[in-house]
Amino acid sequence: MAERTYRTIQSAILFGLGVFLISKIASGRLIWYIHPRFIPLTILAVVVLLFVGWTVLKEGFKAKRAPATEVSQNPDDLDDEHENHPSAWRLAAVTLPLVVGVLIPAHPLTASAIQSKGINSTVPIATASSSPLTFGQSADTRNILEWEDLFNSGTDPTSFLGQEANVIGFVYHDPHLKTGQFMVGRFALVCCPADAFAVVMVVNWPGSASLPTNQWVKVKGPVQSTVLNGQTLSSIQATSVELVDPPADTYLYP
Amino acid sequence: MQTSGHAQPRSRMWIIAIWLGVLLIILVSQFPRIQQILPTLGSKVSTFATVFLGIFIEAIPFLLLGTLGSGFVEAFLDQNQIQQLIPRRALPGALSGSLLGLIFPVCECGVVPLTRRLFNKGLPVAAGIAFLMAAPVLNPIVILATASAFGWGWMLAGRVGLSMLIAVTTGLLFSVVKRPAEIMRMAGIKTNSRMPTSEEQISPPRRSFRQKFNRMTVIAADEFFEMGRFLILGATLAAVMQALLPQQALLQIGRGPVISVLVMMALAVVLSICSTVDAFVVLGFVSIFSPGAILAFLIFGPMVDIKTTLMYLSVFKKRTVVYLILLPFLMSFLAGVLINLVIA
Repeated sequence: MAERTYRTIQSAILFGLGVFLISKIASGRLIWYIHPRFIPLTILAVVVLLFVGWTVLKEGFKAKRAPATEVSQNPDDLDDEHENHPSAWRLAAVTLPLVVGVLIPAHPLTASAIQSKGINSTVPIATASSSPLTFGQSADTRNILEWEDLFNSGTDPTSFLGQEANVIGFVYHDPHLKTGQFMVGRFALVCCPADAFAVVMVVNWPGSASLPTNQWVKVKGPVQSTVLNGQTLSSIQATSVELVDPPADTYLYP
Repeated sequence: MQTSGHAQPRSRMWIIAIWLGVLLIILVSQFPRIQQILPTLGSKVSTFATVFLGIFIEAIPFLLLGTLGSGFVEAFLDQNQIQQLIPRRALPGALSGSLLGLIFPVCECGVVPLTRRLFNKGLPVAAGIAFLMAAPVLNPIVILATASAFGWGWMLAGRVGLSMLIAVTTGLLFSVVKRPAEIMRMAGIKTNSRMPTSEEQISPPRRSFRQKFNRMTVIAADEFFEMGRFLILGATLAAVMQALLPQQALLQIGRGPVISVLVMMALAVVLSICSTVDAFVVLGFVSIFSPGAILAFLIFGPMVDIKTTLMYLSVFKKRTVVYLILLPFLMSFLAGVLINLVIA
């Protein structure tokens, strides 16, 4: 294929990827895919993609229409470097993120991912530097991950059992639960959804069966401990369960 | 032997088939009728998409930096300078060869043609083999990427330290070979950059800074597409596994101290992901597989996988390639199993 066509296709794909990332950043949905600390790197990636795309387009237009048959004496001419162009199929693979991103409606991880990603009930405890923060903060501002950290920290349970929990999360109906129970959960991740794991609290609430999976709820009530399928989990004797909208920052960060 | 510039027709068919298959499933899953019949398909596709895009978006800055680094090496550096730096004796040669990657950041795709160029310019065998094995890991971008995924701790130290150990050992073992020509194939390879003619080696074309800069960028673009394919294939496989496989099924394999190492090493070969981004892909397996298995993936993958094996075969003699695969395999396997046994 001619140099110019090849370079134009390359540059179109590079621009496409750049625009795709810009749209995710602008809509605030980038954090559905990566940890916020990587956002500057993603912005850098956008800049590089657009710059490389532009350069490639320019260089393509410098090339002669037909592929070179002899070595050019002009070092500015890149034709002599690319006598044999791979076919455009090679370029096609890199369009897959664009195809996936456009065709499949964007979602953060939902309860349905729990089956393959699993629930983590042995989350590492808070490090020494942050422990005053976790244990000193008041019960009603703790999120599900922080409750689990507390449970696994080895702190004397009597110091926090019975405290009033005030957490939000999505509804998940684990098959091992009894009637009148559901799980309220969040996903926590270190880098991206690939390493995400679910943290949950069991909720005792008579209206459990009517709550749809993935619905976001705010649960309040005293905290207890329960054992399910061999794992020790925290549980809430719910005094109220309120339907809420999904929060903007849907993941928790250990 | 096929060149590295064109996929063999059969493997190209497979890649197209996988790609079309994924595309088909995505398209079909969006129809409401299908969603009624297969209610879980929609959520599985959604999970696949989120995990797949997560890996890709995570990895893309590192992939771009890696390709720019590679383009920089190709466009700006004079290979003659390297020759003067590297000792000829086996151990110092192997040691400095393994550290060369810190100055010349190349991904595992770029290291094979670069090593060939260096051998042609007189780089000693021990140094060249050590560079070949170590450069995909001992370079600033991979170290940064690994630290981003696992933190500045034991996993990073293990990856860097053990990779260097294996690279130097392999280089030393190869020092019995006196001349690079003994292990290299005679046939030339076609890459995106044409090898210089003999006239050009004596007086390379004079390029201005801007010309070199443009050349670096275009080479980076070509490498981005070249290597990006494998990142996407690896991300697709990882995301499909995450969306479809129940965790319980894998936990048995994942816990065994020996079998988990073998499975992760096999996965590293099959996924063939670039070393600048493989740390992010393997993060998805951390909760299932043993630490020794994860480490073995991170050490073995950059040295041996489908695409590097194809490249080795186009540059080195078959017997050499066997050693290039076998030695890292044995050492990575041993390291992984020992770590599992020590931790347990």
